[in-house]
Amino acid sequence: MRGARRPPSGRSPRSKDLAKEKQGAFAVIRDRTWEERVQFARRWGITAAALGLVIFLVLLGRRHGFGVPEYLQFALDGLRGGSIYALVALGFVLVYRVMGVINFAQGAFVMLGPMLTAFFYEQGWPPVPGLRLALAALLAVGIVGALGMAVERLTLYPARRASPLTRIIITVGVYLALQGAALLLWGPYAKVLPSFTTMSLSDPTLRFGGVRVKAQSLWIAGTLIATVIALGLFFGHTTVGKAMRACAVNRLAARLMGIPVDTMSTLAFGMAAVLGAIAGIVLGPVTRATYDMGLELGLKGFVAAIMGGLVSFPGAVLGGLVLGVLENLWAGVTVAGFKDLFAFVVLILVLLLHPRGFAGAEAAVERV
Amino acid sequence: MNRHGWLAIALIIVLLTACAAPTPTPPPAATPTSALIAPSTPTPAPKVGSPYKIGFIASITGPGASLGIPERNTAQLVQEQLKAQGGIIGPDGVRHEVQILIFDDESKTDTAASVARRLIEQEGVVVLVAGTLSGPSLAMVPIATEAKVPMISMASARSIIEDPETKKMREWIFKPVPENLHSAQKQADYLKAVGVTKVCHLYENTAYGQDTFASAQAIFPQAGIEIVYGDAFERTATEFPQVERVKASGCQAVVIGSIPPASALVNVAVRDALPEIRIIHGHGSCSPDLMKTAGAAAEGTVMPCGKILVADQLPDTDPVKKLNLDFVKAYQDFTKGEPISTFAGHAYDALQWALAALKTLPDGLSLAEQRAKVREALETTIRDFPGTHGIFNLSPTDHLGFNYADFVMVIVKDGKFQILPEDQWK
Repeated sequence: MRGARRPPSGRSPRSKDLAKEKQGAFAVIRDRTWEERVQFARRWGITAAALGLVIFLVLLGRRHGFGVPEYLQFALDGLRGGSIYALVALGFVLVYRVMGVINFAQGAFVMLGPMLTAFFYEQGWPPVPGLRLALAALLAVGIVGALGMAVERLTLYPARRASPLTRIIITVGVYLALQGAALLLWGPYAKVLPSFTTMSLSDPTLRFGGVRVKAQSLWIAGTLIATVIALGLFFGHTTVGKAMRACAVNRLAARLMGIPVDTMSTLAFGMAAVLGAIAGIVLGPVTRATYDMGLELGLKGFVAAIMGGLVSFPGAVLGGLVLGVLENLWAGVTVAGFKDLFAFVVLILVLLLHPRGFAGAEAAVERV
Repeated sequence: MNRHGWLAIALIIVLLTACAAPTPTPPPAATPTSALIAPSTPTPAPKVGSPYKIGFIASITGPGASLGIPERNTAQLVQEQLKAQGGIIGPDGVRHEVQILIFDDESKTDTAASVARRLIEQEGVVVLVAGTLSGPSLAMVPIATEAKVPMISMASARSIIEDPETKKMREWIFKPVPENLHSAQKQADYLKAVGVTKVCHLYENTAYGQDTFASAQAIFPQAGIEIVYGDAFERTATEFPQVERVKASGCQAVVIGSIPPASALVNVAVRDALPEIRIIHGHGSCSPDLMKTAGAAAEGTVMPCGKILVADQLPDTDPVKKLNLDFVKAYQDFTKGEPISTFAGHAYDALQWALAALKTLPDGLSLAEQRAKVREALETTIRDFPGTHGIFNLSPTDHLGFNYADFVMVIVKDGKFQILPEDQWK
């Protein structure tokens, strides 16, 4: 009916229809306020810029004669580093959501995980290496978790009325104190964790065509997946998990509902410590555990969390993976010496241009 | 409640300062001078002069700690030896106690500068043995120069003793540490002998790493070796996308300019991607940490090392074999079996230089005169001076006096360093 009437009919309905037909997606913009339009343009602008960056990097790589296998290699290696950043970032998000604090002590837990594991592993009991490593890792994770809770109780809980800035500085202090303690306990030397697959120094390399994957990378990827599933189940299906989410949404309301919010804070801090320790332990055999490894991993995890908007778990995981891949690609095709620069430039850009990161609307609802 | 908050902050601050403060280890023992003229010394000196202070600054904590701790151990060992000997005796027969004041620069340039200033101005040290890493050493160079205090660095960069612009020796700065330039010369000899003409160079993004690259760029082309790809990596890196570039560049050998564990991680990454390629380290990797971290991937890699590391494998005719064996034994007795490292050797050489120069001082000089005289003595009396890394010959135009031929080429075999004599270079 409408269509048939269109050609001969009066001006106003006709022009309206035409506009709708012609502009398609752009009509969506027309219906919006200026503020929404700016945001819309910003989001797509940033997406376009990110895509442009990837294309630019790939083109740069052509200069060195890189083909598909090289790019796949960069991506796979990047995903490995990215998985670690993601695990660390999950800890940042967890603490930020429940307590509203950016926990810079996270890096120390990342360092303590493998250091403690290596320490227990070196004790030589039980004699079966696999069992020993598993026990050492479990013990380390347990200790770091307990330490995380203790740290929260001893340093952040007494300062719970202080300004967020004070509390953040406290976490920086905790980081430095723990790093110093590790140096005193174990000295400056690198500690070695055996590969999970062979229980020896050398980690097998799987080759698919021209692409190499370290067996340990699979362990890391598996750990990330298992952790994400476990966190999903915890927050979706357990009372404690739901209570913790309630604290994140509205602390006061949660308290009124009878949820012990301070206990939840302690628990969240402990869980974040556990996440950090796990990240460090699976990374251990790839790099070598040193007392000062936490700073860089902690900061990269923070960048990943920021990329995810600081409140979103999927955002943090995505942020970590994207950061890992882009960073590695960038280092591969440009001057590798500037690898770390990339992560921190990303941090500044995200904070300036798009502070919600990948989280989108969720961030607006749950922040503060 | 607020009170608790402040308490927590205060606690943190206390903890922070506790771990940040430079640790004076051990406190300069105020041994009564009379105790020094112990019956253990066979020739009791009639006169006792004023004690000399050596300011010793090493990176005992921070990223340089695996170098700085052996250096600190050495300083403690030498201090013990000096105590047992009752100090040193000057040319006029006057005995002087020597105190080695050991401080930590935390591997940071700013801490190094402030500690050096404090030692010079407040402690009145005659000579500084200072700087584990090139960065902190360079930070102390202007301070020592301005205060006219001789300084012996334990780091390797050329620019520590030589002004990179004027190419002149810095008047007050010395070092007994072979540099990357010597390392590169030895590497070039080796690469040439085995017929490599194209190399890749991967170096850590530090003053040390950049210097290895600059040295390679200066030396390799003269030997007909082309650097087809060179790039840096962070010491903390876990992924090394550089190996793809190494693959694409078609080089025959990879030279790694780094210190373990970072050098070991690169070694593993390169070995993984290119199982057949030659890997050559710089002398920074001459440490058991390399094998401890890289494991089997380190097998067959070669590097120029100081003689101290393979002292027991040296031919008996070697002029510094005995000195090295004695020092290694003393060091291991003192540290209860710590493995020897080249860095302990650098500290030992630096301290022996300082002591040799102090021994030339007559009694009764002012501090400024002592400092000037020590500087002069370093230039003029350290001749044919045996050290852990070879024979040193200092002069006003050479504040290192090392001949690169004194490096030995070493190969990793069965997890151990083994001398690779020139006739086995293939």
